[in-house]
Amino acid sequence: MGLLDKLSGLLGLKKKEIHVLCLGLDNSGKTTIINKLKPSNAQTQDIVPTIGFSIEKFKTSSLSFTVFDMSGQGRYRNLWEHYYKEGQAIIFVIDSSDRLRMVVAKEELDILLNHPDIKHRRIPILFFANKMDLRDAVTSVKVSQLLSLENIKDKPWHICASDAIKGEGLQEGVDWLQDQIQAVKT
Amino acid sequence: MASGSGDSAGGRGESTEVNSKWLDAHYDPMANIHTFSACLALADLHGDGEYKLVVGDLGPNGRQPRLKVLKGPSVLTESPLPALPSAAAAFLMEPHEPRTPALALASGPCVYVYKNLRPYFKFSLPPLPPNPLEQDLWNQAKEDRIDPLTLKEMLEGIREKAEVPLSSQSLRFLHLELGEMEAFVAQHKTQPIRRQTVITTMTILKKNLADEDAVSCLVLGTENRELLVLDPEAFTVLTKMNLPSVPVFLEASGQFDVEFWLTAACRDGNIYILRRDCKRPKYCIELSAQPVGLVRIHKTLVVGSTQDMLHSFTHKGKKLWTVPMPAPILTMSLLEQRSRGLQAVMAGLANGEMRIYRDKALLNIIRTPDAVTSLCFGRYGREDNTLIMTTRGGGLVIKILKRTAVFGEGAGEAGPPPAQALRLNVPRKTRLYVDQTLREREAGTAMHRAFQMDLYLLRLRAARAYVQALESSLNPVSATLREPLKLHAVVQGLGPTFKLTLHLQNTSAVRPAMGLLVSCLYNESLYALPRAFFKVPMLVPGLSYPLETFVECLSDKGISDVIKVLVLREGQSAPLLSAHINMPVSEGLVAA
Repeated sequence: MGLLDKLSGLLGLKKKEIHVLCLGLDNSGKTTIINKLKPSNAQTQDIVPTIGFSIEKFKTSSLSFTVFDMSGQGRYRNLWEHYYKEGQAIIFVIDSSDRLRMVVAKEELDILLNHPDIKHRRIPILFFANKMDLRDAVTSVKVSQLLSLENIKDKPWHICASDAIKGEGLQEGVDWLQDQIQAVKT
Repeated sequence: MASGSGDSAGGRGESTEVNSKWLDAHYDPMANIHTFSACLALADLHGDGEYKLVVGDLGPNGRQPRLKVLKGPSVLTESPLPALPSAAAAFLMEPHEPRTPALALASGPCVYVYKNLRPYFKFSLPPLPPNPLEQDLWNQAKEDRIDPLTLKEMLEGIREKAEVPLSSQSLRFLHLELGEMEAFVAQHKTQPIRRQTVITTMTILKKNLADEDAVSCLVLGTENRELLVLDPEAFTVLTKMNLPSVPVFLEASGQFDVEFWLTAACRDGNIYILRRDCKRPKYCIELSAQPVGLVRIHKTLVVGSTQDMLHSFTHKGKKLWTVPMPAPILTMSLLEQRSRGLQAVMAGLANGEMRIYRDKALLNIIRTPDAVTSLCFGRYGREDNTLIMTTRGGGLVIKILKRTAVFGEGAGEAGPPPAQALRLNVPRKTRLYVDQTLREREAGTAMHRAFQMDLYLLRLRAARAYVQALESSLNPVSATLREPLKLHAVVQGLGPTFKLTLHLQNTSAVRPAMGLLVSCLYNESLYALPRAFFKVPMLVPGLSYPLETFVECLSDKGISDVIKVLVLREGQSAPLLSAHINMPVSEGLVAA
C-alpha cells in the first residue's frame, strides 16, 4: 500500500489531501455550500441543520478536500476549536442578509483569529458572503467592512459573494483556496 | 436626572467597551417606538424559526396606537389599533401541528388575537350591568319626557353619589356643550346604554402541560378589580376572581387544570397572590410604595417600588431581601439564559442605566444613551440571548449576549463583606483581665466621670497657661496681628563661651518689620554678654535672620541659668515676644 501510495504520489496521480474547516453562524449556508461543491450525483436534496459536525469530501483539479462541516448553532460553537489544529484552511460563511447578527459573526471570527492554534499560523481563510439572492442582503464589500477583515494582516484571505442555492460564486472561492494551498506547499 | 448620579456606582459589574458581555447589534435613536415592557413580546409568528418582535406601540404622545412587528432591525408590518394597547403576549392556542403561536394584544376592553399576523378573533369583556337610575333617565329621554339640560343635571347627581359608575355614553354626554347636547341625545337615545370595563394587564398561563410549547390560557386583569382566565380555543371565561384593587402587573405560574398561582400587583400598593379554587386572594404583601414592576423567578417574586427599591418575596409573601437603586426604576423584566440556567432581573433606571440582578447580587450594568422604558430578553431572529430595549425618546437598542460571556458570581456584592473575615485582636482571659472587666462593669459610670473631670481640668489648665503666655508675650511667636514674628534660639558650644543664635522671622505676607530691638536679660553674676542689647535690621517677610551673640559663663560651679530674650518695638515697653533659653552647664570649666 505504502509503495503504491508513493508511486502514485510521484506520478501525480494521487491528489494531495487537504483538511478544511467550514465555520460560520447557524443558518448561514455552510452545509448548502459544501453540498453544492460535491459531485452532482452525491448531492442531497434537503439540507437540515447540522448537529455537531459532519465530514464531507470533494475533489478539485489538483486537490482532494476533506471538509469538517461544523454546526453553527450556539451550543455547538465551542466544538470548533478542537479542530483548529488539523485544519489547513478555513472557509467562513456569512449570512449577508442577517444584518443583526453580523456582530455575532465578527465576534466568532475574532475568537477564531485569536485562538492559539490559529493565531501564529499562516492559514488561508476564504469568506463566503452568502445568500446574495435575498433582497435585504448587503454587498461583499460591506460584509468585509462590518467584519473589519482589513485588520487581518498575517493571513491570506479572500471574500466571495455567493449564492449557495444556485451555486454562484462558489467555484471562484474554491479556485482561490486551491491556489493558496499550492503556493504554501511549493 | 437622565445623566445624574452616573458615576456613583463604582466599577463593579460594569460593562466597559473592551470586555463587555454584550455585542451592540443595533441602535436606532429614531425608531419611533414608544412602549412599555408589557407591550413587548417575542414570538416565532410564522413558525420558520425566525423570531419576531411584537410591539404594542403607544405612538408619540400616546396618540397613534399601532401594532408593529419587527424582523431584525426593521419593521415588518404595522397596523393601527383602535385604543391604546395595555399588553401583548404570544401563546399557543391548540396542540395540533403546525405549532405556530397566536398573538394576543389587549387594548381597551378587547383582546385582539392574530394568527399568522392576520386578525383571527376579537374577545370583548362581558358588559357590566348599568346603573338602573341612569337607565331610567335615558328611557325618559327616549320618550322625550325630559329635556337635555335636566338629563345632564340628573346624571351629574348620579355621578356624584351612585355606587355603580356611569356608562361611557353618559360620561361623554356630560362633557358636551349646551348646543351639542340636543344632537347627541337624538343620536344616542335609541341605543341601549352599556357599561364596559377595560383591560389593565394580561399574561399567559399554561393550560395543562408544563412544556415550553404547551397550550396556554390568557389571564386578564381588568379595571373593575377582576381577574379572568380565558379558554385558549373558545375564548370563554373559564374562571373569574375578585381583587380588592385594580391589578397593574400580573404574573402566572403553574397550570390551569392542575394548580396555579396568580400574582397581581395592584394600584393600592399591595400584591395579592391567588391560587386555584379560591375566589379571593390567599396572601397579601403590603408594599410601602406603589409597585413599578413585577418579575417572578421560580418561586420568588421581585418587585420594584417607587421608593427606588427592589424587594424580593417568596410566593407565600415572606420578605427575602431589599436592594436600593441609585435612581427611580422605570421598568423591569426577566432575563433568562437557558444555556447557562441563569435567571435574573433586569431593571431600567431613570439615570440611563440598565441593571441586572441575580437575587441581590448586581451582575451587570449597561449604560444606555437614554432612559430605558421597556425591556425584553429572549430569542430574536435566530439569536437566543438578545436584549431589546426601547428608550424614552423612542429609540430602539438591540444587544446580543456574547456566547462566551459569563456573569461572574463575584462581580456583585454577593456573600459576606470582606471585613467579616478579619480576626479581632481579643485579649486573653487572664485573672487580671477578668477582674478589670468586672470592675469596669460595676463602676463604669464613676470611672467615666472621674476621667471626664480630669480631662476638663487638664483643658482648663492648658487654656489658662495659654492665656497667661499670650498676656505676657512669653511665647516665641508674636500674637499681635500687626507684628507677626517668630523667634527661634539656638545655643552652640561646650562652654565656657557659648554662641547664642537667634533666628528672627517675619511671618507676615507682605509687610516688612522695622525698628525692632532685641534685649537679653540674664544673671550678671553668672553670665557676661558683650552685646546684651542690639538693634534688629529691617525684616523682609519670609526670610529668617540669624542674630548672633556670645555668652561667657563666669561660674565654675557647674550651675546654669535662664537667659530671657525679649523682642521689643522702639518706644514700647511691653515686649512683642520673648524666649526663655535654658543655658547648658558649662562643661569646659567643669572639666578643667
